[in-house]
Order: sequence, then C-alpha cells, then structure tokens
Amino acid sequence: MKKPQRKTNRRPSKKKKAVASRKWWSLLLKLAVVGLLALLAVLVYMDAVVQEKFSGKRWTIPARVYARPLELYVGQKLRRDDFLAELEALGYQRERAASRAGTLSVNGQMIEVFTRGFQFYEGDEPAQRLRVGFAGNSVASLADASGKGLALVRLDPLLIGGIYPSHNEDRILVRLEQVPKLLTDTLIAVEDRDFYNHYGVSLKSIARALWVNTSSGRLQQGGSTLTQQLVKNFFLTNERSLSRKVNEALMSLLLELHYDKGEILEAYLNEVFLGQDGQRAVHGFGLASQYYFGQPLHELQPHQIALLVGIVKGPSYYSPRRQPERALARRNLVLDLMLDQGLLTNEQLVAAKAQPLAVNKQGSLTNTTYPAFMDLVRRQLREDYHDEDLTEEGLRIFTSFDVVLQRKAEDAVAQAFKQLGARKGIDEVEAAMVVTDPQTGEVQALLGSKTPRFAGFNRALDAVRPIGSLVKPAIYLTALQQPDRYTLTSYLQDEAFSVKDKKGELWSPQNYDRTEHGTIFLYQGLASSYNLSTARLGLELGVPKVMQTLHQLGMERDWPAYPSMLLGAGSLSPFEVTRMYQTLANGGYNSPLRAIRNVLSADGQPLGRYPLRVEQRFDEGAIYLTQEALRRAMTEGTGRSAYNRIGRNIRLAGKTGTSNDMRDSWFAGYGQDLLAVAWMGRDDNGQTSLTGATGSLLAWSIFMEKAEPRSLATQLPENIVNVQIEPSEGWAIPEQCQAVDTVVTMPYIVGSEPLPLESCLEAAPIQETQKTGGVKNWLKRWLN
Amino acid sequence: MKKILVLVAIAGLASGCGGTMRNSIPVVDSGTTVRPDGAVVQPQSQPSHGVRQGPVVVYKTDEKPYISEPEVMTMPTEAIMVEHEEKTVVSRAEQQMITDSGVAQVASPSPRLDAPVQALLNTAQQQKNRGDLEGAAASVERAQRIAPREPQVLYRLAEVRLAQGDAKDAEQIAQRAVGLSSGQPGLQAGLWDLIAEARERLGDDAGAAVARSKARVNL
Repeated sequence: MKKPQRKTNRRPSKKKKAVASRKWWSLLLKLAVVGLLALLAVLVYMDAVVQEKFSGKRWTIPARVYARPLELYVGQKLRRDDFLAELEALGYQRERAASRAGTLSVNGQMIEVFTRGFQFYEGDEPAQRLRVGFAGNSVASLADASGKGLALVRLDPLLIGGIYPSHNEDRILVRLEQVPKLLTDTLIAVEDRDFYNHYGVSLKSIARALWVNTSSGRLQQGGSTLTQQLVKNFFLTNERSLSRKVNEALMSLLLELHYDKGEILEAYLNEVFLGQDGQRAVHGFGLASQYYFGQPLHELQPHQIALLVGIVKGPSYYSPRRQPERALARRNLVLDLMLDQGLLTNEQLVAAKAQPLAVNKQGSLTNTTYPAFMDLVRRQLREDYHDEDLTEEGLRIFTSFDVVLQRKAEDAVAQAFKQLGARKGIDEVEAAMVVTDPQTGEVQALLGSKTPRFAGFNRALDAVRPIGSLVKPAIYLTALQQPDRYTLTSYLQDEAFSVKDKKGELWSPQNYDRTEHGTIFLYQGLASSYNLSTARLGLELGVPKVMQTLHQLGMERDWPAYPSMLLGAGSLSPFEVTRMYQTLANGGYNSPLRAIRNVLSADGQPLGRYPLRVEQRFDEGAIYLTQEALRRAMTEGTGRSAYNRIGRNIRLAGKTGTSNDMRDSWFAGYGQDLLAVAWMGRDDNGQTSLTGATGSLLAWSIFMEKAEPRSLATQLPENIVNVQIEPSEGWAIPEQCQAVDTVVTMPYIVGSEPLPLESCLEAAPIQETQKTGGVKNWLKRWLN
Repeated sequence: MKKILVLVAIAGLASGCGGTMRNSIPVVDSGTTVRPDGAVVQPQSQPSHGVRQGPVVVYKTDEKPYISEPEVMTMPTEAIMVEHEEKTVVSRAEQQMITDSGVAQVASPSPRLDAPVQALLNTAQQQKNRGDLEGAAASVERAQRIAPREPQVLYRLAEVRLAQGDAKDAEQIAQRAVGLSSGQPGLQAGLWDLIAEARERLGDDAGAAVARSKARVNL
C-alpha cells in the first residue's frame, strides 16, 4: 500500500522552492529597478552638470594689458633698430619678403612690414603692407605697398601681461573658424581619428590603440576620444580609477547627445592643457601659440602646428623648453603622420622638418616680465574696477607703456651698476626709475628694482626716502614767483648761520664741500646745490610758503614745517618725486601721472577712458626761470657730468639729490619729451658711497643717451624777456656798450630786468669790496 | 588790364586798412616765430621741414581732406609775406576758410599741420559731427601725443571737452594752448573766447569778462 503523506510532503517542498525562487526573482527585480532608477538619477544629474558647464559662460578670461601701440608717421623720432626691436617683441617674423601678416623684411634703411590689424578703442586698424624708410633717428618715409604715401599707421600693441584670478587660469579664446584647418586635421589624425564618427566613446579607437601599442616604433595612441579628453579636462580631476573611467565615458556620451561635433571640437581647442607658465596653466591653442611662439594662432606654420599638436599628449614630458630633444622627436613624428594622412606634401614635410623648434626664450605672457609697471596698472585699475571685473570679464586694457624705453632704462641701470662695480658695498645698493612724457603725463617705463624681472618690492612706487636736494627747486620757484623781490641774478649770501628750532635746538647747515661761497647769484644756489644760500632763502620766504609750493607742485604728503625740510629731510617715493617734476617740466601745468589710456570690454565695447588733464599751478614765467636755473645745473652745476655722454646741443634741465650720509642718491631731469627720475639706495637705509651725481645721475645719463630726448624748447613765455648782462655783477648791458667783452644772456620776468650800467666804463673795474670769490669763480668756470 | 589790377590792389589794401573785421581777410599764418632779437625760432616739436614737402598724403584712401573750422588747409599755393608789428610772419593762402558758427571765430589761421595730426583732427571732426564725443576726444588726444605743443590740437581738445560738459578741463587746456601760441594772435583770440565760454559755464562771470577782453585785444 502506498502512503499518501509522502506525496503531500513532496509537494510543499517544491512549492517552497518555487515560492523561494520567486521571492529571489522579485527581490532581484526590485533591486534592478532601484538600480536603474539610481543610474537614471545619476545620468540626469550628470546631464545637468554637463549642460550647465558647457553652455553659458564657460571660461573666466582675465584682463589683458597692452603696451602703447607704436604709431608711425613721417618725421617721427624713431630709430630703425628700435623699430626692429618692437617688431621682434611683437613676434613678427623676419623673412625675405613681407608676404603675410606678421612678417617683415629688411633692406638697409628700408623696412617692409605686413602689419596685423587690431581693434582699438578709437576704431579698427586694418592689416596692411608698409614700407618704412629711416634716416638718422627719425622716420623718413612711410608708404603702402603701391608706394603711395601714408599719413599715419599704428602697429598692433604688445601684450605685456594679464590680471589673473587666483585659480590662475588663462585663455585666448578662438572660434573654430579662426583655427587653421591644418591644425584641426592634424589634431584629429593624431588624437582621435574617428572623431566625426563615434558617439563619444569609440570602441574602434580603443581596439586600435591596443593594437598599435603592442607593436613598437609606431605612433603611440591613447584610446580616449577628444570628447573624453575634454570631459577629463573640464570636469574631473586627474584620478585614474575605473569608476572615473566609467564616469568619463558616460559624460562623453551625454556631451555628444547635446552638442554637435563642431561645438565639442571648439571647446576642446580652448580647453586642452598645453603647458605650465610658472603659476599659470596654459589652456587652449590660442594661448599656447602666444606662449610658445609669441604669434597668433592663425600665423603658425606647419612645423609649429605639429609641435603644438604633439605636446597635447604630455605638455611636461614633451616640453619644448625643458625637453627640446623629446619635443623635436615628437614633432617630427607628428609631421610624418601628417604626410601619411595627406595633410602635407613631401616638400612641405622636408621643409618643416628642417626647421628648428624655434620657441620663444621665455613666455611673454607672464606678468612678471614688467612687474613694476603691471603693479602700477593694477593699482590704478583697482580705483575704478572690482577685482572680479578685472580677473574674469576679459577686459582689454591699453596702457602708455613703451617697451623700447623700458628696455633702455633697464640697460642703463645695469650698465651703471657695472660701472660702479668696484665700489665697496655696491651689491647691497638697489635702484628705481620712473620715465614719463612730461607733455602728456603718461608713464612710459617703470623700474622697481635693479633686477627688473624680479617681482618684489616696487621701489618706484613704495620706497619712501628722504629726497635731499631734490626739494630745492621748490624754494627757488617760491622766490621767483615774486619778481619784485627775486630774479635769477639777485644776490644771495652763501654764508654759515644757525637757527633755533621749536625745541630750542640749534640747526647749523653746511655746504657739501664745507666751504662758504660768499655772495652768489640766486640761480647759482640752485645750479650748484649750495645748502647755505638755499636754506637762508627758504627761511626768508618762510617754510610754510615753501610747503605750499611743494603741494602745488603735486606733493600730497604732509610734511612738518621744520627748517631741515628745506634741505630735503622730507621723504617721498620716486613716483611722487616724478609727479612734482612733471609740473616743472610741463610749464607749471600739473597732470596726474597716467599709466592707462583706455579700457575695452571683451567684445570690443569702449568701457572707460583716462583723459588728459592739466591744471595750471604756477605762472609760466616763474617756471621758466626755475627751469633756466636747472638747465644751468646741467651745463655748469652739479649735473654737468651728464654731458660727458649726451650731446651738448641738447638742452636739458635737472637736479641732483643726496640725502644725509649718502643714504639716498637721486637725480630728476628732463628734456622736452622725456622726464626721468632715478634713485639708488640700500633697502636697509645704510650708507652708500654714492652721491646724486655719482649714482643716479650716471644711470640717468646712460638712459638719456640711449633715449635721445628732444632739446628743451627755446620759446619764451609771454612775460619773459632775455636780457644781456655782464656776468660779474649782473648789470644789464646797453646795446651800444663796447667796453664789456663778456656778455651773458639771462631771462627775466618783464618788469624785473636788471638796471643797465650808467656808463659803459663802470663795467671795467670790478669793486673788490663788493665781490667775494663766488661770482668771480663762477665767471672763471663759465669762461672755461 | 594793368589799370584794373592796380585798382583791385588798391581796393584790396584799402579794405585791409579799414580796420580788422573777422572773416574778411583769409590770412594763413604758416610762418615761424620771429623773436625780438631777430632770431627765427623753429618750433621744437616739428620735424625738419624738408621731409614734409611730399605729395598730399591721406590717412585713409577714401577720405578727402576735411576742411572745417577754424582754419584748416592742406596746401597753401602762394605765400605772400607780410611783416606784422607783432613780429610774426603771416602768409596769404588762396583757399577760403570756412568758419564755424560755434564758439570760436578765428580770423588768422595758424601754421599748416603735419599730415598725421591733420588726419586725426579730421577724424575727430567727423566723430564730433556724429555725436561721438568720446571718440573725438580720443582722436584729438592721439594727435596731441604726436604734436604735444601744437596749440591748434590743444584748441580742438578744449573744444571737445567743452562739448562734453567738462568746462574746467576745457579752460585749463585752452590756457595751456595760449602759452604755446605766442605769435598766433588769431588762434589766441579763439582760445580766449573758448576760455570765456568755459568760465561762464563755471559761473565765473568776472573771469569770463576778462577773457573776452583779451580775445578782443589780440585782434
């Protein structure tokens, strides 16, 4: 007999199994649904990230700072070699003929240039072919390619730096249309041959890469598509894990879903990492072209394109500056591939391979090339713009910086130090220089240190030091504003004295040469920088009055009205000194010192202008007289060693300054179109062995010799008249007088001219009781 | 024929002697300054004259030389030297000048400007006519960098500034130009008129009156 229970027992276990497996399946199903939802969520999130990052404002573009564009016109003061230096700095290539934009050819004194166009604040300057002829130190002819004369042409301005955000990124954005086709073709051939066919991830590419990489000697390919590389650059860090790879692949697919090949390619061209410039990362081919070659992207030749594309694989590994052999080998490999893919002919390949690497010596993008001037620009901008506007909005800032003058200033300081090399302790001495055009108030060059590339303490703006005798013109100017009391030939007593100051202490100034010079003409006190006569004059006028003059000249500091200020105990920075001498050099008209001319937005909209401003602070006649004394300081006074280098036909005015114990050496001087203030001293304020004449005047003279300033204008102000005087006592000489054979011409404000000699005979015997050594010695020196 | 010419010459001289009327004598001062001691002073900022004697050059190929106030001309054809009491050298040009009905009416135009400066001033005038005062100011300043002491350029800059509403700047720039334009009484008169206008706008009526009287004295 069969037992019925066994049947029933078997059925429940089967049922259980069935139930159990159903449970497992349903659990699995639930998990799968959850997983899918999660995946969907992740995808949606990723998609949002992709879209947000990719559209809208993708890159923060720092502000670009440009030097002044070189203007060309017939008669301009410009030497051929300086013109070539400017073109070289701009990355113009010297070739046999100037056949395309960015090239030049030299034929003796004639230079043919194909300029690049540029979009300026005032309008567009077209690219054009020019012929510029030179004679001596000026432009003799200017014509277009057909020989027709041109009135005025502007070169594109030199990029001298940028204002970068803290994350140190930079771009020169290029549109896809602006990129040479050869570059995009080569890039695709090298990095992602199937770019136009895949959907973001290319299995073909991965397979090919595996195949290629196992066989040696062939071009090594990565399996990543351009899209994947873009994603990696754009979003993700350098992590190399499997999950990262999966993320990358998914995002690439999403990217391709939303954007077309052109947009992705354009983004890639602007995003790809191509080098490290100190703290700054070089992203994008536009910037890389400037960084490596100093040229815009569309000017690059095949060998340069090949190098840039080759670098993509590893900018540090293939760095053309640090690993030139590797870079060259990689470049040639790329060139071979270009031939292989039909992008180059055989002749082109041979020609390209024959080219050297030819990268710039150093990236001209780093804003450490001209740090002192960039510092000034930033400070002036901060007054009008927020930091975010400066570092993110792609502003274009046009300055008055003159790269040729800057180089001359740097060379001059270097040469001066070389000449002073034997002096003890010269290594501890630092320097600064400010160069402006007094007619416009524009700052053209700035040195913050004797090692100009060093972006450290900006002494030109921040080294506040006692100015010594540089203060003296203010005293004489104060006096000469009162023509009824003082003229250039008024008598001063250069004799020792003492005064008690407010504390009851005695102040007894001394001359530098520790001697008294007796009775002197007023102008000699300034020209020879005598302390005694100057201090006496200052006290006679009143220290507060002299302070007022200083403020009118442009000094903004509040100095105490102590007598010692008359001899330069007060401190200023070289920039502040320049502000004061600017007023002297510009006929008594004060102009703020400007470094910036105007600002354009990223898309070329005019944003702001810094206009020329002048304000008359002094009578032109009084200024002219002061300038005459400063001119004589150069011809017969403490500045005369400048004419060891500079031609005597160039009229210049200047003042030496030496502070106590020779801790500061100053010189401030100018021609018609150039004002320069030089300072030397130790950062620890220690004694140097330099006076104003032996230190700063040397640097100044060497600079002026190179810069060739225009001679001071001889045009007299309306209230000034030249009078012929006899030099021993300063009497005016009537025309009919024959007895006096030495006659000097001196300017006077109308109404203050010296009285004429009553008779010609009075001039002959010189009264010994009236005269002391001072005047006679001056006469002797003048005659020599 | 000769008689008629003589009559015309006399008539011309007579009308000239009949007192100075603005706009009646288109004299062009294209000379240099002669100092009291007889020395001829070349303006320092000008390049050597020989270089400028080329063909008329244009800034842009399609642009004609724009003749506008106060006294612009590009090529004097005949120069007749007339000795003046103020020891300035003036010359007579064959071209009529068109004067502006605005602020300044200058009777005796000033020396011929260098081609680049002229071109920029032309551009500035066009910009001013379009209402682009900022652009005009930028162009004139560009001209000023090339010829920093040229009072005609400063005059135009002051003019633009005044149009922009910057009376203080206009006054100071015009003042500077006065100091640089000795020997050009016509231009100085125009400058003083501009200064007077600026001072009026600043509320300095007394100063404006002084400036106007100086403008009259100059002629």
